[in-house]
Amino acid sequence: MSQINKLAYVDNKLGAPSQGQQTTRILFNTITAPGTTSGLIFFKTFQGLTNGQTNLVQNKLDASESMIIKTIMLMQYNTEGTLQTFGGQEQQTLSIIVGNQQVVKNLPIQFNQGGVGQSFDRLHSNAAVGTGGVATFERQTEFPCEIRLLTDIVIPPQVSFEVRVDSNNAVYGTGAVVCALSGYGKIFSAGNTF
Amino acid sequence: MTAQDKILYVANKLGLTSLKDMQASTGAVYDVDTDHSGQIFSSASRHQNPSLTNLTQNQFEVNEALLVESIAFYNLDNEDGNQLGNIQNVYGSQAVIVFDLIIGNKRTMKSTPVFGSGTPFTFATSGIKNLAPAATSQINPRNQIFLEGAGILIPPQVQWYVEYQIFNMVTGAVIPTNELARNIGCYLFGTRVLLNFNTSI
Repeated sequence: MSQINKLAYVDNKLGAPSQGQQTTRILFNTITAPGTTSGLIFFKTFQGLTNGQTNLVQNKLDASESMIIKTIMLMQYNTEGTLQTFGGQEQQTLSIIVGNQQVVKNLPIQFNQGGVGQSFDRLHSNAAVGTGGVATFERQTEFPCEIRLLTDIVIPPQVSFEVRVDSNNAVYGTGAVVCALSGYGKIFSAGNTF
Repeated sequence: MTAQDKILYVANKLGLTSLKDMQASTGAVYDVDTDHSGQIFSSASRHQNPSLTNLTQNQFEVNEALLVESIAFYNLDNEDGNQLGNIQNVYGSQAVIVFDLIIGNKRTMKSTPVFGSGTPFTFATSGIKNLAPAATSQINPRNQIFLEGAGILIPPQVQWYVEYQIFNMVTGAVIPTNELARNIGCYLFGTRVLLNFNTSI
């Protein structure tokens, strides 16, 4: 089942509007100065974030908007903006909660990032490529962590969601960590309503 | 739904009955924001062809269209013969371009981020810049989006443009684009429909 058909199927089951502009959505949320912690929760806090740190104002999509989560991406930057290995290659797991349901449960993320070389899929076969030398904010020496899901997960309209990353005191530094969710989606389209 | 199915579906909805008889092709359109106005394609008519754009205006002719399947951002060094550059190399890994794609009076992509350190679903073929010695090599991430599911059709004779801003994700501040001798550019790539006269002429 394609992303288009899956979204239409779930929206129909939930009685959500099927009209809307088809598009590709990428939702992202930033946690600044996360420090050393055992748990990160993305898409929970929006206060104080600018449009360059999140593209939502609350942890749910608007009415008539829905999307598929197909790709999850995690990035970590130091205060200068240099891309770093997410959580320092510590073992970490990721969970996604939509409404009161856990739709991704304790998925390990560290295999799909730099230096490990054991990515889940062939798409990320070069995730382990590192160029050596000193990374700067203008000179990137590794890739962010990204996982392509095999099952399309739907975020329906007006249902809260969050992404949790668990670890044993992983070091996320004093810069920022970013989580992005990407996939096919629908945005509100007034058509000739107004 | 294939690209051709989507084009025919939208053409049918818009009453473009002759679009199905036109020449199917592959194409891309590109332009740069020379005014640092935060808009790309809207000033294409004033830009030199092909060094800055391959358009004469930001709308297609009769019976021409583009199904956008990929969108990418780059920068042009306007002091060095408009040489192409990578966004990350100039603005840094922490930079994020947040953009909208507007077709006619409709926003078809909404607050979409393109991350300086690379965008989701682009890592299989990221460019690795091999320099000597190896310690100076670097990764040039793709500041690009591959549209999921179906693409987005730009129909004939409808104006379109991309509206964008660049931010620093760590500080949240807007990154000014007019402090460097570089312009932000964008291309839209996908299945193209070209005007085909058949036996008319």
